[in-house]
Amino acid sequence: MSSAAMSLRKNQNIVKNKIKLQSGPVTTTLMVVSLVIILGLMYLSQVTKTSTFNYKISNLEQKQNQLQSTKDNLSIDAARLQSIAEAKKAAETAQLAPVKTVSYATAR
Amino acid sequence: MPEERVVSERSSNKRISVLVGFMCLFGVLMIAKLIYVQVFKHQSFIDMANAQQSRKFIIPARRGEIFVQDGNNELYPIALNQQLYLMAADPKYINNPDEAIDKLSKYLGDINKDELRDKLANKDSRYVVLSKKLADTTANEIKKLKIPGIILSPRDGRNYPEGELFAHLTGYVNNDETGQYGIEQFKNQNLAGTDGVSNAITDSLGVPITSNENTIIKPKDGNSYVLTIDRGLQAIAATAIETAVKNNKAESGSVIIMDPKSGAIKAMVNYPSYDPNNYQNVNDYNKFINGSVSTVFEPGSGFKAIAMAAGLDTNKVKPDTKYDDTGEVQVADKTIKNADNHKFGISTMTDVIQKSLNTGMVFVLKQLGTDPNRITSKGKEVLYDYIKKFGFGDKTGVELAGEAKGFVKDSKAYDVDYANMTFGQGLSVTNLQLVDAFAAIANGGTLYKPYIIEKEITPEGQVIKNKPTVIRDNVISTQSAAALSEMLKQVVQRGSGWPTRMAGYNIAGKTGTAQVPKENGLGYEEKKNIGSFVGFAPVEDPKFVMLVRVNYPKVEGFAEKTAVPAFGEIAKQLMMYYQIPPSGN
Repeated sequence: MSSAAMSLRKNQNIVKNKIKLQSGPVTTTLMVVSLVIILGLMYLSQVTKTSTFNYKISNLEQKQNQLQSTKDNLSIDAARLQSIAEAKKAAETAQLAPVKTVSYATAR
Repeated sequence: MPEERVVSERSSNKRISVLVGFMCLFGVLMIAKLIYVQVFKHQSFIDMANAQQSRKFIIPARRGEIFVQDGNNELYPIALNQQLYLMAADPKYINNPDEAIDKLSKYLGDINKDELRDKLANKDSRYVVLSKKLADTTANEIKKLKIPGIILSPRDGRNYPEGELFAHLTGYVNNDETGQYGIEQFKNQNLAGTDGVSNAITDSLGVPITSNENTIIKPKDGNSYVLTIDRGLQAIAATAIETAVKNNKAESGSVIIMDPKSGAIKAMVNYPSYDPNNYQNVNDYNKFINGSVSTVFEPGSGFKAIAMAAGLDTNKVKPDTKYDDTGEVQVADKTIKNADNHKFGISTMTDVIQKSLNTGMVFVLKQLGTDPNRITSKGKEVLYDYIKKFGFGDKTGVELAGEAKGFVKDSKAYDVDYANMTFGQGLSVTNLQLVDAFAAIANGGTLYKPYIIEKEITPEGQVIKNKPTVIRDNVISTQSAAALSEMLKQVVQRGSGWPTRMAGYNIAGKTGTAQVPKENGLGYEEKKNIGSFVGFAPVEDPKFVMLVRVNYPKVEGFAEKTAVPAFGEIAKQLMMYYQIPPSGN
């Protein structure tokens, strides 16, 4: 190291600033209260969200049940309309004649 | 003065000590009580709290459905689920009963206004059921009327879209949601599934609220079933038996159609039937019974084929074996005669089947034993073994509730009992047993277990296919079966089965006109008989085996006038349905 550099270092004033965080009882109380309020609000928001979702789920379940019920009713209507009794009625209305004889083609 | 102050301070200290002592004691007692409540009584209070704050909710499983198929393997539902409503009333809250009755009566067709007025007049009762089966749309209309005191609760119901046609196969589901009769009863547990449970914390009104403590066990829906029944054949059979019963002024009738090569039941009908949608309107409970599997009858001459099978299979007789028919035969102190006292002289075994000769069947029984001139124990044992091998006296195991097993006397019975058994008297069978035995003759000697469930489908879509089950192989040899089929063919060609004759088709079968035993067991009813015809076609490659039975016809004559025409009508349609071309023979 050169002598010039050594002399510069000797004459240097080194200042260290330490920031000390100090809190009194009022600050602590305020922080705790704030934390409690924030946590409380978070909890409330979660509970509200859950309730909303629960309501949505309940609504969707109701809709599902309604749709299932409608599907059941439609299936029954479809089955009834395709029933043998209905087919007979339709055949009578259309005056369809029963098949009496059948001829089979022979393969050559 | 200083002394007084000292005394006063002492007294004050003492009081404070006493007070502190009391407070300590109170504290100790409080702590003791808390320990008692929170530690020792912990569980009991938890239970009490749970009982007040949580409720069990049943999540009902959906009942499985039942389907049949048609010739193109397309599925048709015959038992479906439907949301219905139970309507009840709390008469205490119905302020204007007349207005309520006016509004409700049009929705309650089965209750008249007076009946409704009586029900609502009972102010002491807080819950009067008005209807158990209201349709969704009707319930919604009633809800809109906003009648105070009317309660509508949803409930699962069953719907049978085909009405009476499949009633004896499905049975029905009662108000307790339990299957009764048919498959609904036989497979009740599998159809019903397992209900789920939700344990939920509730609010003060009992409404469930969201909580981590809520638990749900999901319901397991029931399995569905596809039957072997062919919808088209069922309809053909139902129409034919209804016509036969009406034409013969009979009490009832039944038809079974089976695939002789698998035991699959293709049609099973009984007339009269009932509508399972309105089973509560049926007054005669006998209508619920499936006469084809649950009631037994003396088969009469139809059974001659079974006894003849024993003779042929043991090589004791052949189709051309001859005997002298004198019209009657003496067994112990009884005289057994042919029907209508006919006598035919020298006759073959084919004649015995074709002309339905009782004396010939006694001849066969004699041949089965050690001495061909009399009935012996050995002969009875052999016949008994064959009867059992054909499945008589045992349940077939078909998947229908209430199957009867019939009754067959063992070989220790009297000779005359066994002589009667050769022509179908003194034993009882079900239609299903008889048709299954004929299936064994038709297919060359294999006795299949009759079955009605083709597939079981789980809610996850897994398909469990039912396969044909052989109960007994080689009941009779193929040669014996072929010989017997030829003999049975003669019944249609030249005998009592003539009304089923069809140009180009070979049909085999046997008529039976059975007497009906008196209820006291002494003899037979004079004016009652059961006409039946059981047969199969085409003989060379049987596609179906069928039994038609007509109970207590009021017209004169044997089975050829009652059951045989119905068999012929169905057989004709079956040939077209199965597209079986005529063989030309």
